[in-house]
Amino acid sequence: MISSNTFHVLSTELVVGGFALAGLAFVFCMIAPMLPSAFRDRQGAGDVVAHTALMFGLVATPFAILSGFSSAPGEALNSALLANKMLFSLSGGGLALGVLVARWRNGSGVWDSTQTRLIQGLAGAGATGCMLLTASLGGKFTRGESLLDWLHLPYNEVLLMPTFLSIALLLLGCACAAVGFRSTS
Amino acid sequence: MAYQRIKVMLALVLLLASTTLGAAEPGGNGDGLRDMQCGGACHGDASQNASTSLSLSIQYASQVWVGQPTEVTVVVSGLGEVHDHELLGIFLLSSTNANGDTPLSDGWEILSDGHGGTGNYVEVTSNGESNSIEHTWVLRTDDLGPKNMYASIHHGDSAGSSQGQPFFGISEGYEVNVAPLPENAPRLSATFEPASIREVGVSIQVPIQTEHTQSVNVEWRAEDGAMMEATVNTTGENEWLFTLPASLKPSSVQWRATLIGEGPEQTTPWFTMVAQTAPEEVDSGPIYLQGLAMALLLFGAVVALQKPQHRKEDPTKVYDNTAHIESTHVADQEGAPAPLPEGGLPPGWTEEQWAWYGHEYLAGTYGSDQQ
Repeated sequence: MISSNTFHVLSTELVVGGFALAGLAFVFCMIAPMLPSAFRDRQGAGDVVAHTALMFGLVATPFAILSGFSSAPGEALNSALLANKMLFSLSGGGLALGVLVARWRNGSGVWDSTQTRLIQGLAGAGATGCMLLTASLGGKFTRGESLLDWLHLPYNEVLLMPTFLSIALLLLGCACAAVGFRSTS
Repeated sequence: MAYQRIKVMLALVLLLASTTLGAAEPGGNGDGLRDMQCGGACHGDASQNASTSLSLSIQYASQVWVGQPTEVTVVVSGLGEVHDHELLGIFLLSSTNANGDTPLSDGWEILSDGHGGTGNYVEVTSNGESNSIEHTWVLRTDDLGPKNMYASIHHGDSAGSSQGQPFFGISEGYEVNVAPLPENAPRLSATFEPASIREVGVSIQVPIQTEHTQSVNVEWRAEDGAMMEATVNTTGENEWLFTLPASLKPSSVQWRATLIGEGPEQTTPWFTMVAQTAPEEVDSGPIYLQGLAMALLLFGAVVALQKPQHRKEDPTKVYDNTAHIESTHVADQEGAPAPLPEGGLPPGWTEEQWAWYGHEYLAGTYGSDQQ
């Protein structure tokens, strides 16, 4: 049996690897129309890579979160870093799931118009950004340093909303999703 | 095409050449219970470690009694001579197997790591003033006989040509002989567990459980080295209690007890009590709720914005005209045949043909499709 710490490292590496590859592919697909035709013609491959890697990373994310709970010392979320990790990983997961659902419903047509291409590309890259920030927070928590230290991000500050605002956003999210799904019929 | 491939290959080679094979972690990994392999694996690959120039030795009591706490001190010397050290990771090990080599694997119990924990690995900071560092653990074992001990160290270099490179070193083996305690000697009870952490601003009462003990004296010292005596009260047979005053800031104090009885007097090791700020109580519920809200909001926003795009079609364009054709056909069938022209049927026409196409003949459109 491996310890939860080792399993957490393993699963986070899968998440970071999947999301990092997806992020590069999303940026490529987003700017493909502006590139020379030799690159532009590869947009189809970029689309497949982006969404497949994103799905892979998303599947590994719950394992990373759960193993992170059991490997963290003390009570869960007793540190601002851990709280920020939770917020960023869930935000990245939500974005990634939305991107995958949009691709499933629209097919490769998400890249056809400028508007949908920008939304798909920015949402995919945003999901990657959230996950990389989460990984960076993990490095800060366990080793005291991270790759993004040069940005001097306020890791120890948690932007915690009042509960009623969280509930309002939750309902707004449900409404948005309902509107989005109803538009298929 | 071949020229492009060469350019890609050169770029890849350049990227690979610019990476370092190993890198120390200047932020450390934190204290804990770790095997020696962490000294290499934490840097990515143990084979990339360079040998440290620091020397290591272990000091321990001349008499180590079975079932009684004993001090084991690791001395690191040679600091600042070759490398610029900031953080040093020190291991106390029972073998050089690289895994399964903590003192726990050899029957020891770690009562104190000197930092308020019970691990075999601690990270200490070099103050730059002294060329040596000592760090002490308090251990206990119920096993008699000789036991081996090793000290190991890993560190980086914060300056010079080897900046960021990981270094690793291990001491020679030290044999500790665990002997039985004289039968009537006063001793700490086997159930005694020293508290090692308390909160800043709070005084703490420390209980001591003993055996064969008639009286106990306790002395304690703060970080500045000033020695104080504590008042010890008895709370029952072989049950003692003393109070350590509150600490005003995160710091540590050490205390030891002298046990007096019929047998030879015994002095315990120095036990470390760390005062630290209590972590704030966090209600996790709102954080989970906010995380869920953000996830659902972002998901919903993407789904709502990326609605399926329907192609615009001509609403007047009708592809299926079956009903129209059938109705027309039925109307034609049900309608009366056209009246015969004067002179009867046109030459060559049959009555059946007239019944079907007579209207077109009269309208002058018969045969226009075939032309």
